[in-house]
Amino acid sequence: MDRFKLLLERCTRKRMSRGQFIKLCISGLALLPAYRYFLKPLGAQPSGASGRSKRTIHANYDLVAVGGHDPYAMTVRAIEAMGGMGRFVRKNDAVLIKPNMGWDRTPEQAANTNPLVVAALVELAFKAGAKKVNVFDITCNDPRRSYENSGIQKAAQDKGASVYFPEEWNSTEARFAYPSPLENWPILKDALSCDTLINVPVLKHHGLTGLTLSMKNLMGVCLGNRGLMHQDIGRKLVDLTDFLKPELTVIDAFRVLVRNGPTGGDVGDVVEKKTILASVDSVLADSYACRLVDVDPRSIPYLAHAFERGFGICDIDKARILKLGA
Amino acid sequence: MAILRRLSQAFFLCLFVYILWSTTYPLKGLLPPETFFTLDPLIMAAVSLSGRLLLSGLAVSACLLLLTLAVGRFFCGWVCPLGACIDAAGLLNRKRSDVSDAHNRRMRSVKFYILLIILVCAVFGIQLAWVFDPMVIMARSVSLNLIPGLTFAMNKAFVFLVRDLGWTGGVLDLYRALKASLLGVNIYYFSHSFIILLFFIFVVGTSAVLKRFWCRALCPLGALYAFFASVALLGRAVTSCTHCRQCKSRCRMGAIKDDASYIKGECILCLDCLYDCPVQATRFQWSFLPSAETKPAPSGGAGINRRDFLFLACSLLLALGARFRGEETLDATRRAVIRPPGAPPEKEFLDRCIRCGNCMKVCITNGLQPVMLQTGIAGLWTPQLVPETGYCEYSCTLCGKVCPTQAIPSLSVEQKHRTSLGLAVIDRAMCLPWARHEQCIVCQEHCPVSSKAIKLQEDSLYGPAVLKPYVEAQLCIGCGICQNKCPVRPTRAIRVRPL
Repeated sequence: MDRFKLLLERCTRKRMSRGQFIKLCISGLALLPAYRYFLKPLGAQPSGASGRSKRTIHANYDLVAVGGHDPYAMTVRAIEAMGGMGRFVRKNDAVLIKPNMGWDRTPEQAANTNPLVVAALVELAFKAGAKKVNVFDITCNDPRRSYENSGIQKAAQDKGASVYFPEEWNSTEARFAYPSPLENWPILKDALSCDTLINVPVLKHHGLTGLTLSMKNLMGVCLGNRGLMHQDIGRKLVDLTDFLKPELTVIDAFRVLVRNGPTGGDVGDVVEKKTILASVDSVLADSYACRLVDVDPRSIPYLAHAFERGFGICDIDKARILKLGA
Repeated sequence: MAILRRLSQAFFLCLFVYILWSTTYPLKGLLPPETFFTLDPLIMAAVSLSGRLLLSGLAVSACLLLLTLAVGRFFCGWVCPLGACIDAAGLLNRKRSDVSDAHNRRMRSVKFYILLIILVCAVFGIQLAWVFDPMVIMARSVSLNLIPGLTFAMNKAFVFLVRDLGWTGGVLDLYRALKASLLGVNIYYFSHSFIILLFFIFVVGTSAVLKRFWCRALCPLGALYAFFASVALLGRAVTSCTHCRQCKSRCRMGAIKDDASYIKGECILCLDCLYDCPVQATRFQWSFLPSAETKPAPSGGAGINRRDFLFLACSLLLALGARFRGEETLDATRRAVIRPPGAPPEKEFLDRCIRCGNCMKVCITNGLQPVMLQTGIAGLWTPQLVPETGYCEYSCTLCGKVCPTQAIPSLSVEQKHRTSLGLAVIDRAMCLPWARHEQCIVCQEHCPVSSKAIKLQEDSLYGPAVLKPYVEAQLCIGCGICQNKCPVRPTRAIRVRPL
């Protein structure tokens, strides 16, 4: 206490010497880490979140498949056939468009979503009255290279979307109403706080799951040791889809990587299927996409699990599907 | 007028930091990242000699030597960014240092021996310029200490504002814009970088004891410039001196003698003696103009005495001993670390690498880290790839583009795709599918080789089918992304072995 008084006296009455000043500065700096203990509890937030709430979408069809030669026009056509973007995006909505841009590859190599599809969706969302359109992905390769070389950053920014690198510290822990292997998994807050979530995967080959589709694409908002999601992946991805509940799923099957996925890199592995799918349901979209490349949906672990659990629209034959040719 | 020199120093210091700050993806700085190194005749000469190659920077740095021949050691006083830091630290030193002429002479001769050692070793194929060169010391500290430290602090401040205080909106937008530009997406971390900082503090801090001690006594680049400056055309002349000895006691380089004459090679043109002279007796003039009292002064120590000879001999022995351990030993040590893509064999690599830290600064994944003593003292602060921190990005060729001495060659993207850094090896005792029969194959998923260097085999012997990865050695380029992404902790189940 005496020392403190002395210090106070020196600070207030006498001019400080250089040595004293330096000492004061160092002791002040040493106190800085204490902010964690004093300020953290004040700003403490509930550390978990229980997923996005379900919204009923009234679309003309459950799924629309459009063929053609221009991904941009095909996307616009598919959404219009569904009844327009107004069915999914309300006025002043904050929209999140989640493409697959996890890889440092060009659009021709078909490891990422076609930039034209993303651009069309951004444009449609703004036309439907969206306040803000965010586009991001937690990438597997370096984020700057992936954003740039996938072509999505430029395409989406040109249409007015904000494309940014998500902050890894801005996450929350997933909480489920039922026992789930994903309980407490860190998930980006930005993915939960949006009003409309549009999931825009690319259809391509994957070593573990056979194909990577809309449900696999949602892994891009998860943080943590993502490699561990690969164990029991079927159940985890179904739970994740249930947690995020995307309003709209648009699958880019224009160029399809059929071998050596999900990274690819060889244009020889790419086949042009020239199809864009739009659907209100992830499971339906994924099982329809499987048919495009002649894969049995039940061989895809997360689709098999979804069928078993009765999650989403499982029966393709009973779904309202519209096919539009070129 | 003195302010002019301060401004010039500040300008070049800022330029130096700016160049290194812009040494990052996408490499769109106004000046090439190796600017200050190509201007450095010591580095260019030493690396050209030891690496037996002709660097284009030789010609550029020769221009600087020509300028030195004309005006003297202006570089040390007006340009050198390390000199600026040393001068700043020297401001703490307020006492007048009246060092005797004999002591000054002994002190300044040391740096010539250091220069001599560096050049002699370079002739024998050993590059030592990295130990003492001021550009390298400065660059290493800026790239590996200053910039990571600053960006870390700024990032923390923003995280605190946004997450803990809840300042979203404008602050968050600013943060995102900064992250895409100034801060960088990754906040860099370099292992053991505090040792680099300690070395820098030593170099700069000695100035607080004796002004510009480093430049007077140790800097080999200063010695090289002093050698040329000793016959410079611009010189100092004193007429009608009152022998107040003010200039001598104030001279930051200890260049002025008791009789007010000076050692030309030691003068860094700070011009303090010009402004400080109470009777304005000091002038600087061109030597081809008629002058009165300038007399030529020898640059280094006059003759070698026994102590200097012993110093020279011992340090040469030490330097040679550090490297002459036979090629086999070098090969063996090399196996301890993964070198950057396209690096030549270990001996050549060490002869070229000046440890400037450019490659580590630019590495897009922060995978290149300074080596401590894993490859012996000769490999100190050379770059190695540490896949746990960051892998080698498949289509990235930045490290070769910023290397000032071709220790890492500049590769095209096609060449890079074929360049091998090591070989991935799966530890089947830890790998989830092999050891525990669980699904995983994250390594195969991330493998960037288009035909996949990691192949899968299906195994349904112990229950439901599980895909087990194995490495196709012919295809693996050792980029380390598999090791980086492997979910097994704390040691990864797939690890890259150096070639």
